[in-house]
Amino acid sequence: MLKQSKLTALLLLVSIMTITGCGQSNNSSEVKKEVNTAQPSTTASTPETKESKKVEITFYYPVNVGGPLTKVIDGMASTFMEQHPDIKVNPVYTGNYGDNTVKIQAGVQAKQPPDVAVMMSTELYSMLDMKAIIPLDDFIAQDTDIQMSDFYPAFLEDTQTEDTTYSIPFQRSTIVMYYNKEMFKAAGLDPEKPPVTWDELVTYAKKLNRDGHAGLEIPGNDDSYWMFQMLARQNATDPKQNIMSSDGKKAMFNSPENVEALQFWLDLSHKQKAMPEGVIDWATVPTDFIQGKTAMMMHTSGNLTNVKNNAKFEFGVAFPPAQKQFGSPTGGGNLYIFKDTSPEKQAAAWEFVKYMTAPEQAALFSSSSGYVGVRKSAYDTEAMKKYTADFPQALVARNQLEYAFRELSTHNHGKVSTAITNQIQAALAGEIDAAGALKKAQEEADQALAPFNK
Amino acid sequence: MGNPLKLPLLLNRKYRKPLVDNRTLRYESTRRRILQILWNGIGFGFAVVWMIPFIWVVRTAFLPKESTIGTGWSWGLTFDNLIHVWQAAPFGQFFMNTLLVCSGVLVVQLVTMTMAAYAFARVEFAGKDFLFMLFLVQIMVPPDVLIFSNYQVLNEMGLLDTKLGIMLPYFASSFGVFLLRQSFKQLPKELDEAARVEGASRLHILSRIYVPLSRPIYVSFAIVSVSFHWNDFLWPLIVTNSEDNRLLTVGLAMFAKATESGAQWSDVCAATLIVSAPLMIGFLLFQRQVIGSFMNSGIKG
Repeated sequence: MLKQSKLTALLLLVSIMTITGCGQSNNSSEVKKEVNTAQPSTTASTPETKESKKVEITFYYPVNVGGPLTKVIDGMASTFMEQHPDIKVNPVYTGNYGDNTVKIQAGVQAKQPPDVAVMMSTELYSMLDMKAIIPLDDFIAQDTDIQMSDFYPAFLEDTQTEDTTYSIPFQRSTIVMYYNKEMFKAAGLDPEKPPVTWDELVTYAKKLNRDGHAGLEIPGNDDSYWMFQMLARQNATDPKQNIMSSDGKKAMFNSPENVEALQFWLDLSHKQKAMPEGVIDWATVPTDFIQGKTAMMMHTSGNLTNVKNNAKFEFGVAFPPAQKQFGSPTGGGNLYIFKDTSPEKQAAAWEFVKYMTAPEQAALFSSSSGYVGVRKSAYDTEAMKKYTADFPQALVARNQLEYAFRELSTHNHGKVSTAITNQIQAALAGEIDAAGALKKAQEEADQALAPFNK
Repeated sequence: MGNPLKLPLLLNRKYRKPLVDNRTLRYESTRRRILQILWNGIGFGFAVVWMIPFIWVVRTAFLPKESTIGTGWSWGLTFDNLIHVWQAAPFGQFFMNTLLVCSGVLVVQLVTMTMAAYAFARVEFAGKDFLFMLFLVQIMVPPDVLIFSNYQVLNEMGLLDTKLGIMLPYFASSFGVFLLRQSFKQLPKELDEAARVEGASRLHILSRIYVPLSRPIYVSFAIVSVSFHWNDFLWPLIVTNSEDNRLLTVGLAMFAKATESGAQWSDVCAATLIVSAPLMIGFLLFQRQVIGSFMNSGIKG
């Protein structure tokens, strides 16, 4: 009996605590709001009326590199507020790209979107289909500070559709080839001469496939279409060939050149025996490279910092080799501004976007994250000069931008990208041949895009 | 709950022992011992399999960064990872929030599920079975499907970015109601009737008879509920914006979701340890009650 009453008393206590706790948290947020609204009214009586117009904007950003990059972004936001005392930015960390998109979509549907957000460049068409974002052309036309020509054209490609710009490049990457210089020496290869063509890649990889480590690894799960895009462009005769149309309404997976590209990927492991067979996991490839389980890898330039910090050997970074031309898709996120907010907020959001992509900020962000600087002039800043002098490998991704192009981005993007990703994985796993896989992927993608081609 | 029948039975067996042939007895006992050793060995093997990932996490959390990647063994010991991770996010605040949300949800759930389970088990009303079926259907709907609609409702109620907003959709648990109803149904109706003869009210019967006799169910439900909400990530992330209202899993995600940079294992492990340690310490403290309750209620995994 006594025990039981003790238990109920405890339960009661906990419930009271939580109820008061909830009440408190609500109260405190209310109090904060009151303070916020109260402050301008008190300062409004003073001559400075600017304070009363303080615009508050919310900024969603995902982080896809490990560690405290949130601190860097929060720090950039607070220096922005120091320079723009009439704007208050609330930076909100939103998980990875996937979580971030779910959160933004929930907000858009509930008419509570963020004012500005970082989102995958490939979300452009789905955001347009949701009528969630605004075009930025008016801001660009009125604002001479932004200097669009200073951005790398490869990054601008996926901010636009049908001659309208909808986003500004922010955290961007490309695919580069990492190679272990010590293994090159051990195999009798010149560590300063990485392979430049597909044929060289094959002979190098075969020579390097020894002493218990693989010659080459290309990740094949998750977004394997990214790697496929790279191989497809490298094998294309047309320098502008991509696997989808630029208006995002057509997929062009199934072409003889693309089949050759996928066949080359399959042959690397099945015929040439230079790469482990099957689907290689995206996340383990960099770990394999650092541990010395593979001599070369194709991976995102976002991994530069990780490899630099953890590899205990000398490594080189190079363009992925060419068949008919060099090529790599870009990846990463852009800054978007949202509908359903006031014009003042959109203007403030534009100021913020401009600040975040200005040369100094782009340089700071690039050097602390490993992403590619989005502007040419970012590489002229002192911070960037110092960073690239210490770490010249970081320049490879930038130099490759002249061969870089738009990542797969279409209407109904989820279905289209899943179609191609699944078929590539099936081909890598040996369940289907290259031609069959691309034919099937094409059929699925056509079906997913049919409503947009009426 | 002493069973008076047990005593004579035991005595009886002891009394019969000398009658059995000595040799078969010895054979029996060695056979039993071997079987027991075998079983213990298998159990131990499984325990090791379960323990390996955890030991690896703890070990890596304290390893210096340089020696995490590498296959060899290293004796290095450092607290740098933990300190680095702890400083990267307001884990203290997150911890308090998680505690508040978990206990808040649990307390309300216990009240609502007791009421609902009693109604479904003992009160007669029209459409009871149909309503209960609806409750069961709810178990089959994964909570992530409801994110968009729940978000809209919370927005209309003005509860976005509050702890109450995180908790609200979980205040009624169909799983808990189902579990408790089954337990209530198994209790003999005679107890109920006897209490009513004595003049006890329904609430009285509920609090004096049903709740105390279903204690193991409550404990096991509490464990399931707390560990679910402790680990829940997507919903709290989507509902909240400010750090004042965010939970531990958000802090963990900052380190674990690094698809573009490759995983920093030492940081991931340190963050995992920080996030999961409180639950594990709680489990160790209440180990006896926890295991006892699962034995009684028969929940697995």
